[in-house]
Amino acid sequence: MRLKYKLFTASFKMFFRQREAIIWTVLFPIFMVTLFGFVKFDGIGHIELGVVNEAGDTAARLVSALKAVQTLRVHEGTREYELKELEKGEREMVLVIPDVGSLEPAKTLTAYVSDEKPQESQLGALILQRVMDEIAFEQSPHPNRVLVRTEPVKSRNLTYIDFLLPGILSMSIMQMGIFGVAFNFVSLKKRGILRRLWVTPINPNDFILAQVATRLIVVMLQIVIMVGFGVAFFDLHFIGSFGDLFIVGMLGAVIFLAIGFALAGVSKSEDHVAPLANVISLPMMLLSGVFFSRSNLPGFIHTVTDYFPLTYLADAMRSIAIDGVALPDVVPQLVGLGVWCIVSCTVAVKLFRWE
Amino acid sequence: MAKHILEVRNLAKSYDGLVAVDGVSFEVQQQEVFGILGPNGAGKTTTLEMIETLRPIDRGEVLLNGIDVKKSPQEVKRLIGVQLQSSSFFDKMNLKELLLLFGELYGRQVDPITLLEEVELQDKARSQVGSLSGGQKQRFSIAAALVNEPLVIFLDEPTTGLDPQSRRHLWGVIKRIRSEGKTIVLTTHYMDEAEELCDRVAIMDHGKIIALDPPQELISHLLSQGFKKDRVERHANLEDVFLSLTGHLLREE
Repeated sequence: MRLKYKLFTASFKMFFRQREAIIWTVLFPIFMVTLFGFVKFDGIGHIELGVVNEAGDTAARLVSALKAVQTLRVHEGTREYELKELEKGEREMVLVIPDVGSLEPAKTLTAYVSDEKPQESQLGALILQRVMDEIAFEQSPHPNRVLVRTEPVKSRNLTYIDFLLPGILSMSIMQMGIFGVAFNFVSLKKRGILRRLWVTPINPNDFILAQVATRLIVVMLQIVIMVGFGVAFFDLHFIGSFGDLFIVGMLGAVIFLAIGFALAGVSKSEDHVAPLANVISLPMMLLSGVFFSRSNLPGFIHTVTDYFPLTYLADAMRSIAIDGVALPDVVPQLVGLGVWCIVSCTVAVKLFRWE
Repeated sequence: MAKHILEVRNLAKSYDGLVAVDGVSFEVQQQEVFGILGPNGAGKTTTLEMIETLRPIDRGEVLLNGIDVKKSPQEVKRLIGVQLQSSSFFDKMNLKELLLLFGELYGRQVDPITLLEEVELQDKARSQVGSLSGGQKQRFSIAAALVNEPLVIFLDEPTTGLDPQSRRHLWGVIKRIRSEGKTIVLTTHYMDEAEELCDRVAIMDHGKIIALDPPQELISHLLSQGFKKDRVERHANLEDVFLSLTGHLLREE
């Protein structure tokens, strides 16, 4: 036990004395967030309108009229879903068309608006009123006007940073596991440092355990630093639990550490390992919903990327950090991460070589 | 206690049909300095690696202090100290931390300064290995090989690549360790080194031991066969012995 502890402290010291470790695990992610944090990815000029059509076909004319308006981007959904999206800031306005039967048309319609976007709310209300009036005047020269009234709803006005930071955090966990471990071990192997260890009575597994433990602690530090940085400088709307983040983060770290060990096992030198590491990490970096939402991806790619380990990790971390959900709510992601853990560790055990 | 601290019997290893070590046998007495002399490719390093448990043994037997290396490698590891030819140490730890860590690997809490004093590196206790000169690195490897107070120390080409001064300095260190009662097995391709340091020398070529005797006896034997050096000098040296036995010049440099 004492030996395990000594190996751990040695490993910990060695990790933090590498300049590259500080750069890749802390400075680089901060740099990426800063870079992208200043880029505005929010769409301009559209009003995201959620339409809750509980009246069915009788409201079809209204819905298609709304869709025809250029400024409005219409999303149809259930009351629960659309209001949730409104709260998240994904909608500027949600119009509810109640089911009142064909006999008595409603006198007023309620449009829920975000309390943080007064301009969009006013504009949206005006447009809605205009559309309603046009339809009414089509039907008769002296119509009963249906009035649109707005009701403000508390919303959180999430920004790009709230999407980006959990993604970058997940990505840096991946980089540490794949690149950090692979390069480090291949280098140790190549320089004969591991060899010198094997003439001693050391159990190689203890050595690996120490390295893994070090990196899991580093993951926790990364999480704390990144979240702190985001909250302090970029108005990150962090409402999650650090404990849950740690658990998910470490689960993800195990996957990528295992991949790193597998790569170290099959590679003889740093040149050998680099392309392999890139082939695995780059697609995930670009397509796992780190920098932009996967909803923009075409169907087939969207489906395939659903199953990437980084996708599960980023989605889970985002839900916990920004939507404030607890572990039971990210069970699908946890299952995905768990399966990948088993797969990657099995592969690592098969492929890892000491020499 | 075994009669000989190290017994090697018919040790052999091949790689893909290429025979690296071809039935090597020898015994090492306690507190002697035993040298294996031969050119690169003779099989010296492979022989040593098999004794050190780094390479699997194809055929033959190795007994260290009576313990079978093939059957009980972990026990053997506790008893030996090793200086490898091409290896290194963790480059972000200083000498003191490295010696402490290596001590822990054997379950010992060593005094790193004493060990460093043995090899005259106490001033470098807080330096990292990367900042040491070639000779200093070799001396440090020897210190690391001593952390567990081993019965036998294996040095694989300890002075290869060093300048003449560093070589002489290292010889001094090795002689001092020997005088403290350790048994040393070393390999070398330097004839003068074998002559200078070794009580007995095994000459190895093409995977086989072709002669095994104290250096002076090897030389006397050659001279008694009527060997005469071309240039009239003092007498023959070990290089001449080698030439005479193998019929060709040293294969490198």
